[in-house]
Amino acid sequence: MNPVAHFLRKRWFIHLLLCTPVFYVFVPALQNDTTYFADPAKYLLEYFGLTSTYLFVALSMITPLRKIFPKFAIAKSIAIHRRQIGVSVFLYALLHFLIYFAYMGSWSEFVKDWDKLFILSGIVGFVLLLSLAATSNNWSVRKLGGRNWKRIHRLAYLIMLLLIYHQATQEKTGYRETAKVFAPLILLQTVRIAIYGKHALKNRAKHDSTDITS
Amino acid sequence: MHIRKNKPWNLPESAATSEADFINRRRFLKAVGLGSSALLSQSLAHAATYGFPSEVNREFRPDGLEPTEYDLIKGYNNFYEFSYDKGEVQDLANRGWQTEPWEIEIKGHVKRPQKVDVNELIKKAGGIEQRVYRFRCVEAWSMVIPWDGFQLSTLMDMVEPTEKARYLKFSTFFDPNNAPGQNGGSIDWPYVEGLTIEEARNELSFLATGIYGKALPNQNGAPIRLVVPWKYGFKSIKSIVKIEFTSSRPMNTWQDLQPSEYGFYANVNPTVDHPRWSQATERIIGSGFFSKRKDTLMFNGYEEQVSHLYEGLNLKRNF
Repeated sequence: MNPVAHFLRKRWFIHLLLCTPVFYVFVPALQNDTTYFADPAKYLLEYFGLTSTYLFVALSMITPLRKIFPKFAIAKSIAIHRRQIGVSVFLYALLHFLIYFAYMGSWSEFVKDWDKLFILSGIVGFVLLLSLAATSNNWSVRKLGGRNWKRIHRLAYLIMLLLIYHQATQEKTGYRETAKVFAPLILLQTVRIAIYGKHALKNRAKHDSTDITS
Repeated sequence: MHIRKNKPWNLPESAATSEADFINRRRFLKAVGLGSSALLSQSLAHAATYGFPSEVNREFRPDGLEPTEYDLIKGYNNFYEFSYDKGEVQDLANRGWQTEPWEIEIKGHVKRPQKVDVNELIKKAGGIEQRVYRFRCVEAWSMVIPWDGFQLSTLMDMVEPTEKARYLKFSTFFDPNNAPGQNGGSIDWPYVEGLTIEEARNELSFLATGIYGKALPNQNGAPIRLVVPWKYGFKSIKSIVKIEFTSSRPMNTWQDLQPSEYGFYANVNPTVDHPRWSQATERIIGSGFFSKRKDTLMFNGYEEQVSHLYEGLNLKRNF
């Protein structure tokens, strides 16, 4: 195994990596960045939302990478940390959600915009993430059984669609940023479907009946 | 008995000499040879310096309006000609984009069309004064800004619009070499805005050439920009090079981009939501993380001055 892939298996390193956005958030405050001081809540809202989105994209790339390049050692190493990455996606989304509350300033303001698809897509996406995070433990896997667990966690694809919508609608002109963020993921998924499309669908039925904890 | 208690930010008149001090300090620094340092030369490159120091017009300085910190006004700007990122605009707008000398062309249905240097224009308009206006962005944040400049109607009197003139069409500069944002994107450059002639005649409509008694920083729309405080910020077009008096309604940039979200009037209206967020409240820039929102006022608090302009107009449809 190559040394990089070997190193990437270390848990402490992945934990540290997943925490860096929390430390990095203090940089603009220290640099006297006016966009931070003008409206810290808005700055942090966007910062943690984007952090969660990036991690979600990274996480969602693991499976297609593993399928397309089965011998890619780095992807193999990262794949063992999927649960940690998934939980951090949720935790950053939680920060984003809590800061949105602060940004709106009060409960009455907070609930006011739920009729708008932009906000609703975020709320629904967050609730779905919460359900995935809540079942991301061995106990839940055992309790639900591998088949049901997998079914539930396929909600990640729905979350992806909601996230793309949520990200795209916050842009004022065009969808350039969203395209940039999601391009690698969409590319990988397209290749995966192109190569394994029929095969994967056939296999899915088989996999569903096997317990992944076994 | 009515007792007026001064809030901490309600500075006495005696404390307002800082502008002159500021200018003197600049002169001093320049004299001792520090004027060449990057930071200072950047700020000294501003155009339209005629008329400073300006006098405060008390009529347009309501009590209880606390101006936003100068650094935040200078550092939190939407100026897509330079960047979509508010944090980058200040830097990118001061990398060689020249706002002096600056010519402004006034044409269309007017008796005296002209091309005039901006300092000359200010001189002709009889100098500048300072007014404190609320500034409400369509993104649901707001500032309070002490603008220096002159009333738009002064310029209109100067050029004498004919009876055919129904609208004013404002255009900003086009210089993709110095304004990187103009090298593409979905906006059809240059940026265009418009007003009806009645709106332009309103006493609130203002052409600003400064902020806080100092020439406009580049990123705030140097050397001359429109300020229409009862409308969302994007109506207050920056860095104007052309004003055309037209008979038909001009298509403004944001309406052209997203007609379902932005209209021609763009009056501040807490009862008409943006499709993606409510406009009922606003975040106050510089008020910190935990600050509550402020209720947005109809016509941004200028209902008394402007509501007569829109009598009989359905404001929900004509947003």
